[in-house]
Amino acid sequence: MRKSLSVLFYALILCSIHACKNTEVRQIPIKDFFKTPEESIFRLSNDGKYISYLKPYKGKQNIAIRSLETGREYMATAFDDYAVREYSWTYNNQIVFIQDVIELDEYKMFVLDVATSKINNLLSLEKGRIRILNNRNKAEPDVITVSMNKRDPANFDVYKLNIKTGELKPYIINPGNLTEWYPDDDGKIRLVKASDGVNETILYRVNEEAPFKPIITNNFRNRVDPIAFIAGQNHFYALSNVNQDKTSLVEIDAETGKEEKVLLNCKKADIERVDYSRNKHRLELAVCEEEKPTKHFLSKQIEAIYNSLLNRFPGTEINIVGRDSSEDKVIIFTYTDKNPGSYYLYETAGAKITKLGDINSSLKPSELCPMKPITFKARDGLLINGYLTLPLGDKTKGFPVVVIPHDAPWRSRDTWRYSDEVQFLANRGYAVFQVNYRGSSGYGKAFNSAGFKQAGGKIQDDITDGVNWLINEGIANSKQIAIFGGGFGGFSALYGVSSHPDLYSGVIVKYGLINFFTYFKDVPPYLKPRLQMMYEMIGNPESDAEQLRAISPVFHTDKIKAPLLIFQGAKDESANISELNQFVRELKKQNVRVTYFLRQNERKVFRTEENRVDMYTEIEKFLDKNLRDNQ
Amino acid sequence: MQESSTVYRKNFSLIIAFLVLISVTFIIALFISYSLTDRYVENEFAAKKIDVQEQTIKSYNDFFQNRIPEITFYHGFLDSASASRYARSVLSDYPFVTRIVFYDVAISKPINNELEGRQLGVNLKSLYEYTLKDRKIVVTRKGRLQDYSDFETMADKLNNFVTIADTSREPTQDDKFKTFYGIQSRKISYLNILSREEVKLYRELQKGSNAASVYKQNMLTFDLDQSLLKLKNPHPELYKNISIRPVVYDPIENENSNITAESPLPGAFSNYKLYLSSPKFYLDAEVDRRFLPIGAMVLLIYFFLVTISWLIYRNLNVNMRLFKLQYDFINNFTHEFKTPLSVIKIAGSNLRGDAELSERQRKQYGKILDEEADKLNDLMNKLLSLTQLENNAINLKVQEVDAEDFVKGYINTFKIKYPEFKLSYKISGSGSFYCDPVLLGSVFQNLMENAYKYSNPGRKELHIDTQINRKNITISFADKGIGIAKEEITHIFKKFYRIENQYNQNGSVGLGLAFCKELVNFMEGEIVVKSKIKEGSVFTVTLPFEPIGK
Repeated sequence: MRKSLSVLFYALILCSIHACKNTEVRQIPIKDFFKTPEESIFRLSNDGKYISYLKPYKGKQNIAIRSLETGREYMATAFDDYAVREYSWTYNNQIVFIQDVIELDEYKMFVLDVATSKINNLLSLEKGRIRILNNRNKAEPDVITVSMNKRDPANFDVYKLNIKTGELKPYIINPGNLTEWYPDDDGKIRLVKASDGVNETILYRVNEEAPFKPIITNNFRNRVDPIAFIAGQNHFYALSNVNQDKTSLVEIDAETGKEEKVLLNCKKADIERVDYSRNKHRLELAVCEEEKPTKHFLSKQIEAIYNSLLNRFPGTEINIVGRDSSEDKVIIFTYTDKNPGSYYLYETAGAKITKLGDINSSLKPSELCPMKPITFKARDGLLINGYLTLPLGDKTKGFPVVVIPHDAPWRSRDTWRYSDEVQFLANRGYAVFQVNYRGSSGYGKAFNSAGFKQAGGKIQDDITDGVNWLINEGIANSKQIAIFGGGFGGFSALYGVSSHPDLYSGVIVKYGLINFFTYFKDVPPYLKPRLQMMYEMIGNPESDAEQLRAISPVFHTDKIKAPLLIFQGAKDESANISELNQFVRELKKQNVRVTYFLRQNERKVFRTEENRVDMYTEIEKFLDKNLRDNQ
Repeated sequence: MQESSTVYRKNFSLIIAFLVLISVTFIIALFISYSLTDRYVENEFAAKKIDVQEQTIKSYNDFFQNRIPEITFYHGFLDSASASRYARSVLSDYPFVTRIVFYDVAISKPINNELEGRQLGVNLKSLYEYTLKDRKIVVTRKGRLQDYSDFETMADKLNNFVTIADTSREPTQDDKFKTFYGIQSRKISYLNILSREEVKLYRELQKGSNAASVYKQNMLTFDLDQSLLKLKNPHPELYKNISIRPVVYDPIENENSNITAESPLPGAFSNYKLYLSSPKFYLDAEVDRRFLPIGAMVLLIYFFLVTISWLIYRNLNVNMRLFKLQYDFINNFTHEFKTPLSVIKIAGSNLRGDAELSERQRKQYGKILDEEADKLNDLMNKLLSLTQLENNAINLKVQEVDAEDFVKGYINTFKIKYPEFKLSYKISGSGSFYCDPVLLGSVFQNLMENAYKYSNPGRKELHIDTQINRKNITISFADKGIGIAKEEITHIFKKFYRIENQYNQNGSVGLGLAFCKELVNFMEGEIVVKSKIKEGSVFTVTLPFEPIGK
């Protein structure tokens, strides 16, 4: 009797300890992280009478509309095959949207008339891309400007499309080198960017009849991105890093191409974004991505609005994402590292705020983990920035770590924001390490070009140095480190594990880059103009063949020993599936534990919720098996 | 007696029949298993050539399926340096590759429009030859090759493919194989496989547009030598000789002393075959080797069956004896009961028939009835207590017994009963011991009765010697009777066993000694006998001084 009592006592103690642990960190279901956003991409119609947003219908994003006058809310589209990809309001209460029919490799463009709820298929483009350049044209409200590579897969032409009649008129035929078009406030294109692969040229014309003439020519290491013409002048605002390291906001004379003055720059980082109001023809604010995004206001009125919003939502990032033409009503989006984001309607009259919706209401910020900016010194002394997300709880040291090197160096970087992937891994008890290795954008020209031809070289060293820094700080358990990446990040993961087999106990790769020769050879035709630039940044397959061979994982299956998990969408146009299959077969022959998931009807990023949930379920299992058991 | 002997004989013939049957089965089994093994080895000889083929061709397959397609990973960007690196690794990994020729190919617009059809300009930029000498790579740059046909064939195939390929889908494995691989005897040519985009571009070139572009293609030819293929024999017990021979090789044998098998080689070696042969005796030895354990198993099973049949025979024999004993017992027992019963019956009828009884007659009848009733009672008691003893149904009532009084009592009783019985006794050791006097009495009674019964008149003598020491008491009964034959001695304590002789023609059931043994065992003692025919027997009972009790 006594014995059984004491057993009961210990059982109770154990139970309570266990219960304690459970209350500390709840395992949030995978579905809650990766479900299709509940309500997202809220936009206002030009007259301010309607609010539209995307909402899942049978698991696919569809457009829903809410009338602000009557309060009526309804689904405007009901596609159950492929989601609505991007949409926008025209001047005349029409919604133009695009659907990507992955199975047929087809882009479709539709117009939705809000008054009648009629949907019209405007364009179907097989194996091409459509971009809407401008659709708020006061003078011709039914005509939108689009760019697409219909004529030639390698060249985008600009067309004027009448959404009422479906009439398509060529506007600017691409001579073969144009890459960007910058419509002015009236929808006229007077500034364009051309590229020969290495050098970029800004061309200008006084009016639509005049021919384009080159005004600024730059090496691709420099950047000039026009924003808007200054009202009544032929000067324009632009983001430029010509003659300086960090991208700044400048004013340029369109006639001469001369930089008139620098309006704003940030010390630590490039200006990432400038908000400009086309309705009021004014600059509103500029954002620098330092450790966290920092706003520099360029309009007193806007600053006042943001300040009042900040009082209401302290500690959050706030952005204006939609507005009507009078700018009496705006849609704001708030987010933090622990909040996927919420939409609010702000009415300037009376500073009234109404909540519109959440992207993901299943997640509670208190259960998510803070994303902490960190810095460390690389082996050559360069200061490298990164972010570290530690799991909640009392533990401060010896975490299992998942390193996520980002994709696309020179064009992207990791920023301080909510990331479902990071939060999911942190919730499962992994410290997540993101590193802005050299070559990442946003830290100035020098840092960016320091990564040129350093794939598998100093870029990889920066990642390795970061991991070693984590180990030396005691944050990481050196036996429990996995590396996980997509695209170039996938390459970094594979190359990391073959060059440092002792450092990583597992590799997860999604849409990984496994062969640089294939990468160059298989670039989609519309990216061909960039090829020369990519040779400069990564290596020329003709003159640097040896080096590219040395780093391409496909040639080095014998060096990979760690267990491997590979995800790939079969319709990813930059992937060579047969090569990947061959790679996996080779690895299996080398007795590497490799699990390979090829999903049909997916491009790079898995778009169906089901596939996303499957993917992260597999990742959880994989990490459990290969990291947790390595105690 | 007659029935039992017939039963006996039948049993024996069954056993014989069984033995004959299993012996025949044994021989058949040996025969069949040998011929099966023989056939099995023959089949293996024909079937296992696949293993030899697989093992031998493994490195070729690896080379063909993995190393050759690796060229496509370069997508035409292979140059002389990287090609030489590739060639070195191939040449050293695959010794059967003797020479690699690398064609750096440039694809451009048609050179000569007068040519029939649409022709791509497939031009040779440079040409390198790689061979391995003393583990070092030898690179030779060549202007022109004497034999240009490989290149021309591949260029034609490429041209043709670009013209007819369906660019709306990925080319099938079959298309790729037909176009980008050129397989001849001892030679493989390979052109890096085009992606769909490239096919489109090349088709544009064929049509003559986009004239300025020049694209790179890589072509490699590998010279192979079948004689450098490493022969691997995973079944040396089956194949004595393995060689690679031309497909047409077919030697004529004088006697059919060699068994042969052949297996064609794939791909570039398809003009050759693996030729496997073994002399007949070699295979026979293998058959014997494989048959040995099977034969041993069959033999073992055979011996096992024989042993079992012997055991069955022995059991049957024992059962037979037991059956006979019980049969005898019933015979004797009825007889035993019959004698006193018939005496009682006669006395009864005499009593009824005689009109008047004299005093002497009455006493005589009374005595007869009384004695015969006692005999019956005694018989019943013995049988009953034997059954009880066997089932442990009685309890040991231990008490102190004075040896002198106890032995003397029985001697006196028997002296009265059989006046001509000469009895003597001797007691040594302390005077008393512990036991159940009733049970021990039964033992005395039985043994003394036997001593009297199995002695010839005039030799009816018995000496009882009792020795008492601290551990146990030993009582021996020595008579001068007829004795017991040696072969009978082991049976006399068995129930219903009775030696057949003139002394127990009537009256004995064969229970006495069995009863005694049961009693002594029950008292935790033992009984043994020593005997000599015609001289007498000595029964010795040994009992513990003080039984522990049950």
